[in-house]
Amino acid sequence: MKIGKKWLATLALTVGVGLLVSACGSGGQQASGGSAAPAGDSKVYVVGTDAAYPPFEKMEADKITGFDIDVIQAVADAGGFKIEVKNTGWDPLFDGIDKGNVDLGISAVTITDERKQKYDFSEPYFDANQLILLPEDTTVTKLADLKGKKIGVQSATTGEQVVKKAFGDTYEGIKGFDDTPSAVDDFFVGRVDAVVADNAVLQDYAKKVKDKKFKLIKDDSFEVEHYGIMVKKGNADLLNKINQGLKTIKENGKLKEINEKYFGQ
Amino acid sequence: MDWSVVYDYRELFIRGVWNTVLLTTVAVICGTILGLFIGLGKMSDKIYLKAPAAIYVELFRGTPLFLQILLIHTAVIPGIWGLFFPEAKVPEALFSGFVALTLNAAAYIAEIFRAGIQSIDPGQMEAARSLGMTKGMAMRLITIPQAFLRMLPALGNEFIALLKDSSLLAIISTPELGYAAFNIAKNTFERFPPYLTSGAIYLVLTLFLSRVVVRGLEKRYTPK
Repeated sequence: MKIGKKWLATLALTVGVGLLVSACGSGGQQASGGSAAPAGDSKVYVVGTDAAYPPFEKMEADKITGFDIDVIQAVADAGGFKIEVKNTGWDPLFDGIDKGNVDLGISAVTITDERKQKYDFSEPYFDANQLILLPEDTTVTKLADLKGKKIGVQSATTGEQVVKKAFGDTYEGIKGFDDTPSAVDDFFVGRVDAVVADNAVLQDYAKKVKDKKFKLIKDDSFEVEHYGIMVKKGNADLLNKINQGLKTIKENGKLKEINEKYFGQ
Repeated sequence: MDWSVVYDYRELFIRGVWNTVLLTTVAVICGTILGLFIGLGKMSDKIYLKAPAAIYVELFRGTPLFLQILLIHTAVIPGIWGLFFPEAKVPEALFSGFVALTLNAAAYIAEIFRAGIQSIDPGQMEAARSLGMTKGMAMRLITIPQAFLRMLPALGNEFIALLKDSSLLAIISTPELGYAAFNIAKNTFERFPPYLTSGAIYLVLTLFLSRVVVRGLEKRYTPK
């Protein structure tokens, strides 16, 4: 019994100290790991995405597919580098780029000034605008009409930002969800009065739920957003390769072809 | 690390504390009442009372609260409303939270009640019965008051667990304290300030529960 207790205490201490050391040391380890990695074209770049945002990215069985995935594959082919796509989730995508275990992110990320302070972005590859999902018989014609109503958004997306801009950072009616489909679910159940999200995502969803009645409206105050591919601040080498690839697929019509595939009528 | 986000988003924290306290209080009260009946059911010699109570406890104790929350919020409650109150608005996440926490807590509290009641010497019950009390009367007047005192530490534990577990409701965007931290962290890219702040608030709340509420109850119900 006595030995058992001691053993347990030692284990607890080891784990505790280990955690501390690893927490303190992670910065240094990464730096050395980065310099030791072989340079050149043999490197496989890890692409992070949040595969819960159809049609941009979604899981199909155990495969990640979608508009963004087709784009980044085409960019990589054109830019002459190899990639491996991982479903990191939204928040860990940003953390992963910070820490260096994700090299680039493509996840319908809007280029904003705030994000530009922390990350570098490629040239835009898609233009998006926000739409408001509303009941079919609504009298609402613009975002301002929703004052006092409950509005579902995906947390930390542009949808949430425009609602916050209109009604304040701590507006009680904002219901932040982990993903857009959950917000849309709660809209059809009737728990929120509206959803503000990207046009492509809402239109894609709308195609699937034909039996339900709703309408999508556009508010003129919403600015057009540009999606960009994100890399760690200062990673000019990778950013150049990406921009090179993007330029090629814009010129040779490949990007247009992917666009048609997902958003053509 | 920018701690000013805590001040900027203070309303989310204030609302979060209020909802966390409200959720926990309601779930504790409703869960205790429901738990008492389920606990008594489990001790009954009638199989039609005993079996459902036992199944209930195993189901809610044997599956993750996280799944129960998702199931209740996204399927059970919309389903019930669709069937029985198609005209009415489906209640919000806060209501799903009450239901999930209450049902889950009741399973644990039922076991606490059973343990407490069974710890009372059967001689007490026999003595009460020989004085002419009915079984229900003896249970109500003799056994449960004594059992309650013995159960208080275990109930205190359960209340604290419930308060902390309410943070799981963040996933269905219930505006409680965990959601506040989660949402602020997502929006501001600050991690330490929102998470540590909500952690500190949880600690204050649980300390208050254990030091003031549970200890106060123990003092009050201890015979002098």
